[in-house]
Amino acid sequence: MLRLIIRRIGLAIPTLIGVSIIVFILMTVVPGSPEAGLVPEDATPEERQAIRDQLGLDDPLPLRYVDWAIAALQGDLGHSQQRRREVADLLTQAWGNTFILALVSAAFGIALGLLLGYLAGTRRGKIADRFISVVSLGGLSIPSFFLAIILLGIFAGGLKWFPSGGASFDDPITALRSLVLPVLSGSLITMAITARVTRAGIVDVFGADFVETLRAKGLTEFEVRRHVLRNALSPVLTTSGVQIGALLGGSVLVETIFRWPGMGLLLYNAISARDLVVVQGATLVIALTFVIINLLVDLLQAAIDPRVRGAIA
Amino acid sequence: MSQATVPVLLPTGFGSDVSNADREEARRRRDEWNAVDQSVRSQSFWRDTGKRFLQNKTGVAAAATVLLLALAAIFAPWLTPYDPLLGEPTDRLQNIGSPGHILGTDEQGRDMWARVLYGGRLSLAAGFIPTVVAAVVGTIIGVTSGMLRGVVGTVLMRFMDMLYAFPAILLAIAVGSSLGPGLTNTIIAVTIVFIPPVARVAEQATRRVVVQEFIEAAHLSGASRFRIARSQILPNVLNDIIVYASGLVGVAMIIAASLSFLGLGSAPPAPEWGYMLNSLRGSLYTTPLVTIVPGFFIFLTSVAFNMASDALREAMDSRL
Repeated sequence: MLRLIIRRIGLAIPTLIGVSIIVFILMTVVPGSPEAGLVPEDATPEERQAIRDQLGLDDPLPLRYVDWAIAALQGDLGHSQQRRREVADLLTQAWGNTFILALVSAAFGIALGLLLGYLAGTRRGKIADRFISVVSLGGLSIPSFFLAIILLGIFAGGLKWFPSGGASFDDPITALRSLVLPVLSGSLITMAITARVTRAGIVDVFGADFVETLRAKGLTEFEVRRHVLRNALSPVLTTSGVQIGALLGGSVLVETIFRWPGMGLLLYNAISARDLVVVQGATLVIALTFVIINLLVDLLQAAIDPRVRGAIA
Repeated sequence: MSQATVPVLLPTGFGSDVSNADREEARRRRDEWNAVDQSVRSQSFWRDTGKRFLQNKTGVAAAATVLLLALAAIFAPWLTPYDPLLGEPTDRLQNIGSPGHILGTDEQGRDMWARVLYGGRLSLAAGFIPTVVAAVVGTIIGVTSGMLRGVVGTVLMRFMDMLYAFPAILLAIAVGSSLGPGLTNTIIAVTIVFIPPVARVAEQATRRVVVQEFIEAAHLSGASRFRIARSQILPNVLNDIIVYASGLVGVAMIIAASLSFLGLGSAPPAPEWGYMLNSLRGSLYTTPLVTIVPGFFIFLTSVAFNMASDALREAMDSRL
């Protein structure tokens, strides 16, 4: 298992480097001159050049990448002129808020998806199955930002049950109330995908020979289902890593609508303000979080499922 | 959240949400149907698929909805007298069903029905074009690296994996904010997001095919590698790719709408559905029904594409 962990981490490193190169290149090829915001409108060409030299903008690309990556490794992601703050500070604050939202959404969506998928899988072809299929297809097709707006209109505007935005962690009740609508909007897709994958897994495992054996041994239906569920969970685990990553990335839309002070809102504001240093930093941190979560899920899966362990090692 | 709506979809294991039992069921129905209708047995695969698709009522309804939406977008000028860009300031935020404006008007007094119709052109283009381009490019990359296992194949797929390491919506946002706003840039961004998953599907399918005997036979007969790729491999991997890509159209629409919702899509005042939804957000509490109109159309189109894709998958009975 230790060898496997080391091997898997070794595989993740080139991916991490690749991700950082892509983020760097995307934000470097942007049209327009990056020093424009830093020099006065009436700056002479010499003054401009001085700033460019200071920022190393005329260095060859690979050199600029290495400088940027080394600084990033030391926790320096640059300085936002618009916000007058260190990008790393902005991100640290926002990361926690996004992580809470993504984690709660993932937990809620996956739990509900498991339940629905289990119900559908054990009642294949019955009304419950059809109904759940329709619900999960709808969940796959509804854009989160549209769902967010509908929920906002009904529960914050009309019924006034929940706040229309912002995050407050002053006391547990307010915190929970401010989480409800963002979590619901974000987790529907997670629920839908988990339900579909769980259903497929359960239907497959029920058809496996060992289920026959279990029944022949005289196990109760409840015990049989317990065995089936455990065997059907592997693909669910695979998708759940992806789900959390998607929740992190998707946070941009939901956070914008609910003014949730996380990475997504930060990214949205930075895009509107063309504050590329922040866009770059936020993109990098979200992507890195995603890679690390997938790594953890892979390892967790290997720990639980010997078949996966064999396949990776 | 899932914006993830979109993004989440892509990385889900290829076909992992279809059970073997469902596949068998589809296969059984196909065999049953073929047995009944002897006359079609000798017909081509595509005709068979078409006939099976037509028997699936949900699939037909979904495909008809897509067709209807496309026709409405194409013939928009004949379906409404209004200009989607010009509003009547005195007619701002009319509710649904107000005289002369079936779907009401937006915050600048522009007719919503006209904006939805014309906006359909942008939104459908943003759904279709990236899917088609990514399917072609991804197939080329996937088949190439599936056939050439050496350095070229490894490097290509490693690069694809790196793009794949981003949540889809995030990659689209990063590419979009790098290129700047505009429909063309949105289409490019979504295409870039879709190439890696298509390449992966194509590569896996190619690997299954290259080990088979008829490929060896083709090699022995002296066919060039390009010729083998074109006439032996491509026809055998195309099913998987078509089924997979058909499921991407709805996702593409949602990603594109998300980008324009964030201000990275087609430039205002162009009536793109995602942008319309964002600009109407401010009037959610005054005219809620008008506000959700663009969102409803995004949802409707995306559901229709997803249902049609499910039906197509069943009709083709691919290995998904």
